[in-house]
Amino acid sequence: MVSNTKEVEALDFDVMRSAEEERKLSFKDEVCIGCGICEKACPVEAIELGDIGAIVRTDADESKICVDENKCVLCGMCSVSCPVDALEFTIDGESIKDMDVYPQYLSSAEIDDETCIYCKACETACPREAITIARELPDRAKLVTGEIEIDKDTCISCGICEEMCPADAITMDSKIPTSADPTVASDINVDKDKCVYCLICKKSCPVDAIMAACRSCSYGEYDLNPADAEVTGSSFIDDDLCVRCGWCEEICPVDAAKVKKPFKGELTVDEDKCTTCGACVDICPCDVLSFPQPAEAGQLVEKVHKDEKYCIYCGACENVCPVDAIEVKRTDVDYTPTKSKSWKNKMESLKT
Amino acid sequence: MELKVEQDNCLGCGVCVVACPVNVSISPEVAGGHGSKTTETIMMVENGVIKLFSSEKCTKCGTCQLFCPTDAIWLE
Repeated sequence: MVSNTKEVEALDFDVMRSAEEERKLSFKDEVCIGCGICEKACPVEAIELGDIGAIVRTDADESKICVDENKCVLCGMCSVSCPVDALEFTIDGESIKDMDVYPQYLSSAEIDDETCIYCKACETACPREAITIARELPDRAKLVTGEIEIDKDTCISCGICEEMCPADAITMDSKIPTSADPTVASDINVDKDKCVYCLICKKSCPVDAIMAACRSCSYGEYDLNPADAEVTGSSFIDDDLCVRCGWCEEICPVDAAKVKKPFKGELTVDEDKCTTCGACVDICPCDVLSFPQPAEAGQLVEKVHKDEKYCIYCGACENVCPVDAIEVKRTDVDYTPTKSKSWKNKMESLKT
Repeated sequence: MELKVEQDNCLGCGVCVVACPVNVSISPEVAGGHGSKTTETIMMVENGVIKLFSSEKCTKCGTCQLFCPTDAIWLE
C-alpha cells in the first residue's frame, strides 16, 4: 500500500514522503507495440508517443515513447494501462502488478500441457514469437519391431543398401582395395536403433545378402507398447512478448490454448480514405491487418483486409494511419476491482 | 522526427510523391502517377528533383522512405 507516512515523535510530528520508498518506472522499447494508451492514461501529460510509423518501418534509432522526467509523478498509471507490460512500475522493488490495491487487466494466455500435443502450430503462428514448444520425440526404435541381418560372406560391398536406406541405418566401411586385401569395404553394419524394418535394403540387394523381416507386418504390434509412442514436452509463453491476440487459441487443433483479452471493441477501416500505404499492416502487433491477394488477375479486392478475431483493440493502427482511415473503438475494458475511484475512472476512460 | 530530403541523391522518379498517403488524400491525381497540381502536397518533383512543400502535414508514417530507391528522402 502506498501512503504518506506519519512519524510521531513525542508531540512534534513531521509528515513526510518516506524517502525509503523507492518508486521506479522502466520502459522496454522492444516490448512496446506503439498503442499510445499510456500517453492517454498519463494524468500529467508526461508521456509522448513517438512517430511510431517511422520508428517501426525504418531503422530509426528512437524510443517509441518519451517520458518527461520533470513531469512524471511516478503514479504508475501508465504501467497499469499498458496492455503488453512494456512499462514496469515498482514500489520498493515490488511490481505494481503484484499489488492487489491496484487494478490489473484481466487478460491471460495459457497453454494446457495436459491437452497440448506439441504440434508447434501456435509457435509458428504467434505474431510476437512469444511461444516456445519444447518437445521430446519418442525413441524410433521402440515404435518398430523386426529382425535384420547382413550375411557378410555373401555381401559384395556394392553399397546399394547403404545408399537406399531411408533411415541411414546401414554403414559400410569403404576402403581402397590392395593386392593383400582386394575388397572395397572392410565391414558393413546395421544400426538397429535406426532401422525401421522397411525392407528396402533386402529388396534392393543384388545378391540377397540381407535377411530382414518386419515383425509388426507379420504378427501385429503385440510387442510394442503404445506408451512408447507418446510425444512429451512443455510449452512456454513469454509474458513479456505475448499480447493476448488469440492466434494460438485459434490455430490450436486440440483447444489447449486459451486466451483472455483485456479489451472488447470494434475495428473499422474506411476503404474510401485508405491509400494502402501499409503503415497499419506493419505496426499491427497481432497480424490482424494484411493486404489481400486477388485470386485471379483483375479481381478487385478490399484495400486492407482485417481479421478482427485477432484484434486486441490497442489502437496502434489508428495512431499510425496518416489519413485517419482507421477507427478503433474500445467498448469494454476488463480489469480487477479497485477501491480507488480515480483509478477506476482511469480504467473506464480507456473506453472510447 | 522530421522529414528530410537530399536533392543530390534524388533521381526525380517521383515514387515518394505517389506513395505518400497524405499526398494522395490532398491531391488524388498523384495516385495515378500524375504530378501534383497543388503545392498543398507534402512533396513534389520540381526541375527533376524532390522538393518539400507542405512538410508540416507529414504524419511520419515512413512510407516515402520505404519506397525511395536512393535514400533521398527520410525521417530523422
